[in-house]
Amino acid sequence: MKYIIEDIEVRAREELFINIHPIQPAGRLTPEAMKAIIAYGDGYSTCDWCRKPFRLDKIQRPPIDEFHAELAKFVGMDQARVVPGARRGFQAVVSSLIEKGDSVIVSSLAHYTEFLAVEDAGGVVKEVPLNEENIVTAENTANKIEKVKKEMGKLPKLIMMDHFDYMFGNEHNIHGIANVAKEYGIPFLANCAYSIGVMPVNGKEMGADFLVGSGHKSFASPAPSGIIAIADEWVEKVFRTTQMVGDVTKRKFGIKEVEMMGCTIMGANLIAMMASFPAVRERVKHWDDEVKKSNYFIDEFLKIQGNEVLSEMPRKHTLTKVDTTRSFDKIAQTHKRRGFFFSDELKERRIVGEFAGATKAWKLNTYGLTWDQIKYLAQTFHEIAKKYRINVV
Amino acid sequence: MIEKAVEETFAALFALIDLRQIFRETKPTYQFNSEQKRQTKEIIERVRQSMDIIEKELMK
Repeated sequence: MKYIIEDIEVRAREELFINIHPIQPAGRLTPEAMKAIIAYGDGYSTCDWCRKPFRLDKIQRPPIDEFHAELAKFVGMDQARVVPGARRGFQAVVSSLIEKGDSVIVSSLAHYTEFLAVEDAGGVVKEVPLNEENIVTAENTANKIEKVKKEMGKLPKLIMMDHFDYMFGNEHNIHGIANVAKEYGIPFLANCAYSIGVMPVNGKEMGADFLVGSGHKSFASPAPSGIIAIADEWVEKVFRTTQMVGDVTKRKFGIKEVEMMGCTIMGANLIAMMASFPAVRERVKHWDDEVKKSNYFIDEFLKIQGNEVLSEMPRKHTLTKVDTTRSFDKIAQTHKRRGFFFSDELKERRIVGEFAGATKAWKLNTYGLTWDQIKYLAQTFHEIAKKYRINVV
Repeated sequence: MIEKAVEETFAALFALIDLRQIFRETKPTYQFNSEQKRQTKEIIERVRQSMDIIEKELMK
């Protein structure tokens, strides 16, 4: 069976290929999550046992309430909610704090959804420039705050900063930036889309007022799914409940949280997150090994003459931006398949996930591969290089 | 009992998910170690057993 219905193929690339796609590996489901999807795929499947006060995070069977409490503990914050993707977490915080004309400090590597969240609230983003190593520092953040204060006559209302960015997978000085935020009295949101679920993260230790994570990016969960976790002092503001009363019916929906639009991911996605949670809790303890594998592969990758790494070194993450302009791209210049020759060679050896046709700067992610798979991956790159007479030293 | 047949349907599906995981862990060479061979055998037996029960329950 190759098709579910006409035109919808069975997706078996995770069974048939090593997938080094930059954003897919840590969202790959656990077997438990796959089973949860089979059993809870029907629409409002989590609502079977929804009883008063009729809110998703209060449901006891399956134990969604307990999951929320454990999730908050897991990320070192006071309260957590699940949301349809990290972007909805940014949106909830920004919408609660930002008014028209307010500014929000973000990284020069901020995800586009941080921009959209600010735009939606009528604010403006102000980007902190990177240093020479493509890192956001506390010093640059403080300088930017001063600049904004001078330009706009008031302080920014929020700082949103990525723990690890999507472009290089670099670690930014999140603790230092949190300290700067405290000094200026500006609330601080840590975007942990690339860290919660793959490595230990503790929001309070980090100094964050808000943490946002991604289920489909880093929590072995289906899309869309995400996490927002906040400190107690912000609960009333960000998780405020509706005060609205219908003018004709006088209806009230008091328990529903405005920013969550009531219930959030009320089906298979949530149960899959819950099903993956024990494995996720366990896997974050082995982050060091993931980083070792990442560095092993990158060291082997760099043995290919002309290959370069654009991310910080040594690697602190499994997501890495590489540059093969002076190696594989040289072959692409004269190959009849141009840059696609490289994808063809990889696919023939059962490796997918690179940006098809790209042979200059591109990204890869080794998360979750076994040591055997990592070694196979490295050997395959060497093999392709040798085939095209590129030196491997 | 239809409950039994339904239960075994899920048991078989879940066992096949475990097989799917073994494919994921061993790709792209699929060289199974002794533990993976044992698990695969167990999965196949589990699915066969579920199919037998389902047949017995539904075709009697």
